[in-house]
Amino acid sequence: MFKNLLLRDLRLAYYSSSNFIYIGSFFILVTILIPFVINTETEGLKSVFQGLIWVGLALALLLALDRIFSSDFDDGNLDIILRMEVSYEKIYLSKLLSVWITYCLPIVIIVPLISTAFNLTINETIFITINLFCGSFGMAATAIGINALLMGLKRMIYLKSIIVIPLYIPFMIFGVEQGSWPVLSALSMIAVVVASFATSYGLRLYGE
Amino acid sequence: MISKIRPAIIEKADGYIPLLLSFTIITFFVGLYFSLIESPADYIQGDSMRIMYIHVPSAWFSLMIYTLIALSSVFWFILRNPLLSLAGRSLAPIGAMFTFLALITGSIWGKPTWGTWWAWDARLTSMLILFFLYLAYILLWHSISNKDNASKIAAALGIIGFINIPIIKFSVDWWNTLHQPATISKLSTPSIDVSMLIPLLIMTLAFGLFLISLFIIRIRILSLELRINRKMTY
Repeated sequence: MFKNLLLRDLRLAYYSSSNFIYIGSFFILVTILIPFVINTETEGLKSVFQGLIWVGLALALLLALDRIFSSDFDDGNLDIILRMEVSYEKIYLSKLLSVWITYCLPIVIIVPLISTAFNLTINETIFITINLFCGSFGMAATAIGINALLMGLKRMIYLKSIIVIPLYIPFMIFGVEQGSWPVLSALSMIAVVVASFATSYGLRLYGE
Repeated sequence: MISKIRPAIIEKADGYIPLLLSFTIITFFVGLYFSLIESPADYIQGDSMRIMYIHVPSAWFSLMIYTLIALSSVFWFILRNPLLSLAGRSLAPIGAMFTFLALITGSIWGKPTWGTWWAWDARLTSMLILFFLYLAYILLWHSISNKDNASKIAAALGIIGFINIPIIKFSVDWWNTLHQPATISKLSTPSIDVSMLIPLLIMTLAFGLFLISLFIIRIRILSLELRINRKMTY
């Protein structure tokens, strides 16, 4: 059942406007803005790029806020899923994996590819990719938890963003620092656990 | 859910509002007299440090009110008493106001002392984030029209936000020590003189009384609003 849920989400993402081509192009275009807004000297470019990776990831997740559970809620699929004999935790885990694969994995793959264009050394590239890998789970989990609580609100993406962005600040702070992947993993674990409670609470509210 | 509200407590507390408000005004006048006229000016900062008597109590209460919101959310989950969700809802704008006041007075104080309106210092930044946490909580209440649902969601959000405050504080502290070169003079004054401590305590008492009376007024308005809505729907 877990596998079916996951595959369904991934297929939906693949055939809709959120497959990896869209997310990847969106992310690359966000980073391409850097050389235009600051002058192209090496040091500034590098530090701004390292920061904007995280802003790009956050933007990709924030733009997804309107559809993570809401699209299922709107067309009634959520009722069918909740009616099946499947625990809320399994729904949450499949959602976490599908959201991570859809919105975070393309970015984790793209960052090493384009980092040479911003003068990052191989060492820095490895560190930032590990950081992205460890931190993105927590960020995806936060987005899912908040969205599960607020899925009844349609076209409220700004409200959801105002709620989610303060929760992203710790990830941002530790994300740009080299070798802070243990802290990021700890933050991710906290976020995954808290979001699992929030998601099952939200699903229970709207399942009634 | 709404029908479980027993307005008797609120009605009872409502009678004390004139008394509380007059106490508040008296304490404010006494506190302002002591802090502006009676207490000595600071040795280094001169008269500009007198803004501390506004700044410090509002910063204390802004933190305390978020704790109260989180506590009322936790107890709402246990007791399911709608009065608790009303308490959180009525406390949030007051807390946001105190946070805003702390930020503004700190900024005004910072200009003559540090020479800048704003520094990306750990405390300032985490207060700014706290302000936005308050704002998110208020906007959440504002944008859900079904208040029963809103109370369920807001309770969860209050707890999530409260879990996040120490994490944000820790990470901002860490960020600050790492990225900032030895910051502008620290304003930690653990050994505060008695002549300054007494006005500060009186002002804190005045702020506390102000908070309580505002809280009672707001919770009464909100419960009346709920009753009106209930009469209109049935």
